[in-house]
This record gives sequence, C-alpha cells and structure tokens, in this order.
Amino acid sequence: MRTLLTITIGFLFGWILIGTEAYSWYRIQEMFHFESFHMYGVLGSAIATGALALFLIKKFNLKSMNGNPIVVKPKPIQLKANVIGGITFGVGWGLSGACSAPVFILAGKEWAIGGFLLLGVLIGVLLFGIFENKLPK
Amino acid sequence: MNEPFIPWYIAGPLIGLMVPALLIVREKQFGLSSSYRTLLSRIFKKIPYFNYDYRQDNFQIQLVIGIFLAGLMAHFLLPQNSPETVSNYGKIATQIYSFENGWFFLFSGILVGFGARYANGCTAGHCIMGMSQFSVASLVSTICFFIGGLISSHYLIPVFFE
Repeated sequence: MRTLLTITIGFLFGWILIGTEAYSWYRIQEMFHFESFHMYGVLGSAIATGALALFLIKKFNLKSMNGNPIVVKPKPIQLKANVIGGITFGVGWGLSGACSAPVFILAGKEWAIGGFLLLGVLIGVLLFGIFENKLPK
Repeated sequence: MNEPFIPWYIAGPLIGLMVPALLIVREKQFGLSSSYRTLLSRIFKKIPYFNYDYRQDNFQIQLVIGIFLAGLMAHFLLPQNSPETVSNYGKIATQIYSFENGWFFLFSGILVGFGARYANGCTAGHCIMGMSQFSVASLVSTICFFIGGLISSHYLIPVFFE
C-alpha cells in the first residue's frame, strides 16, 4: 500500500516536472542566464511551501500514516564537501540541464541520450563511493 | 518564448508538497540523489560506501520508478523537445537531446552523480528539503550549485557547442 502510494507520488512529481519543463535543458540554461523568472519561481515557491508544511507539522504535532511522530533532522555541515561537491554538481547541472529527478525523466522520455546520462550519474556515484574515504570532508 | 504548460506558481507549491507527503507516508526526508547509492548498493557490496542497510532507502527506488514511468509516458504522449518550441538556446545547440551528444551527457552525468553524493544532496535534498529547514549546509550547497551552474552554462557550454 505504502509502496504503491510512493510510486504514485513519484509519478505525479515526474509529471509536474514535465509539465513545468523543469527537466528541460533549455529551461535550466534560461535560468543560469537569468532570462526568465520561471525556474526561480518554481524553486522559490517549492521551498516556501516546504517550509510552511514543516512549520505546520511541528506546530500541530502531526503524526505519520503509521502513527509515529515526525522527526526532521538537518543535514550535517561538511563545509569542504558541501562546497567542492556542490560546485561539481552545479557544473554538471549547468551542462546536462538535469539534476537527480530529471535524469530519470530523460531516461524515460529522451531515449537518444537518457541512457548515457543515467549511466554517467551511476558512474559518478560509483567513483564517489570508491574515493569517499580519501576526499576532504 | 513559450510558457510551460504548468506555470511556476502551481508547479512550485506542488513540488514543495513532496516534503510533507514523504514525511507523512514514509517518515522520510525528501531527497533523490541517494537513490543512485541505493541502486548501486545491490551490486557493489565490497565497497564500504555501498555496504549499508539499503532497505532504509527503498522508498527512493519506488519514487524514481514513478518518475521514470512519468518520463516513459511522456515519451509517447508528448513531442520530443524541440528548441523552437522552448527557447532561444536552439541557437547554441539545435537538437540537444540527440544521439551524437551521448558522450556529452555521459560526461556531465558523472559530474552530477559524483558532486551530488559528495555534497550529500542535490536540488531535492539540499535546495528544497534542506532550505525548507533553513539548514546551513543546504544553503552553502545550494549557493555552490548555482556557482557551478553559472560557470558551466556561461563558459563551458560555448566550448562544447561552438
């Protein structure tokens, strides 16, 4: 039941990204060239909605579907990793026009390059896994 | 330039609802880049980074299956992305999603995967989930995502597509 619900959430999320063209190389280029407010509007209002939802969950002590209290943990600060990894990811994002979710959309939608992109991301994560201990955190 | 089918003020809030949806349904924080770690952890058990209890990230596999299915459906329902319908970047690369650019996407994909796991999050985990929590690590990462993207879209794209 929860599995089916999660797949449905992913499916709807995918369609929102498709409908608003957030998966598109052209929209991402447009964003980095400050030629349209569109992507800033998408990201900004997503963050605002997320923050409001977290505030409401905390304020009303909302429980999960299984009746457990909802606990939200902040990600740990790892300055070097956040900066070096962040810039590396950003360079890849600006080139491919795709971050994690759009990679799966493109794998399904744009067959000519989607497989290459997905394979590339998996190789990148594998490389990180291999060198994880040697990288500055 | 065409406007997308779903305007930002509808798409953005719906994307933001991913945060409470996953907390309520799965008690999990929104994030997608660890889905790749989970996928690889089934194969590369000998590498410590992939040798973990991947069941905790099972929900991510289910999420990306849904995302992939949405893309697959769009493949049959929507026309392939053509620059004249989307933006003036058609001038830089007339058909970005074409087979000849496979190597380009493979290369940039490596940077996306490596960088996202190194930074411990991507646009979903840091930019949306992390910023919703006002997390410092996520603010730093999001700023760096944009620095990297500005560098590559302004200075590297012209090198690749002269």
